[in-house]
Amino acid sequence: MLAAQRIRSSSAFSSTIRFLQLWNRGVSVHSHALSSSTSSSPDKSLLDLQEVETILNKVKADDVKVIPVRKDCDWADYMVFATGRSTWHVKNIAQALIYKVKQKQKGAKQLVLPSVEGQEEGKWIVIDSGKVVVHALDENARSYYNLESLWSTETPPDDSAQVNSCCFSLLPFIKTKGKSILGHDFFCASFQPSSV
Amino acid sequence: MIQPQTLLNVADNSGARELMCIRIIGASNRRYAHIGDVIVAVIKKAVPNTPLERSEVIRAVIVRTCKELKRENGMIIRYDDNAAVVIDQEGNPKGTRIFGAIARELRQLNFTKIISLAPEVL
Repeated sequence: MLAAQRIRSSSAFSSTIRFLQLWNRGVSVHSHALSSSTSSSPDKSLLDLQEVETILNKVKADDVKVIPVRKDCDWADYMVFATGRSTWHVKNIAQALIYKVKQKQKGAKQLVLPSVEGQEEGKWIVIDSGKVVVHALDENARSYYNLESLWSTETPPDDSAQVNSCCFSLLPFIKTKGKSILGHDFFCASFQPSSV
Repeated sequence: MIQPQTLLNVADNSGARELMCIRIIGASNRRYAHIGDVIVAVIKKAVPNTPLERSEVIRAVIVRTCKELKRENGMIIRYDDNAAVVIDQEGNPKGTRIFGAIARELRQLNFTKIISLAPEVL
């Protein structure tokens, strides 16, 4: 989590917090800008959810599951999980999706293809077409990685918000030396007033 | 800045605890590896009774570095530790869950599997 990340600023504590907020916002703004820039030609280069579902039906992928993850993560809107019966079937699912993207962009000057990972092997192929991320797995990989449970039960990561509010409540008591406020250093800082 | 002999933490539940980089993959005579690079590593410490054992040679992707990572918009990200995720030859992660924050640069470098297992993407 955020404990792993350390931001050191030479300015005062409040400005650090303000910077952090801006930084967080900057992250979201940045991601939105990214997604909007990629979706400026939405019907051409990227797959949308209905198309993915129809293709998965067409290639007879088993156990298709769509999980909206917009709240949980800022880099995708939908996770689609599909099981293939064999490695060939998994590869065919990926091939069908890529073929669809190529069909959509027929006649365009430049082909924009989604990034595909794991295509050589065919156990777990990820097709990352911007907002929709399609995972095609074989049965063993699906049960091993158990991605559905990860994405369906995960609560939105609002730890950062808690840390920020915590910072504000402690703000008058803390004297910082321009050190980081996150992670271990932050907690050390919060214990300072009791010792002083 | 990961170079041969650097010790790295493991950011997944594969069973390894500590790795030592022995080679950077991608170019000959490359000096340092950064976030998103694949390295060859030796397992120096492992959790008992797991498939991975001590002194096994594996591949790993670097996901966190103490050396700061600069972005074009001026953001600088620096982590407390050097950490890596164990992968196999095909690029599938050995573990099923990943711990800690992961930089979104890994998505551009085509490590979407690692990104989709991670709890937080910075």
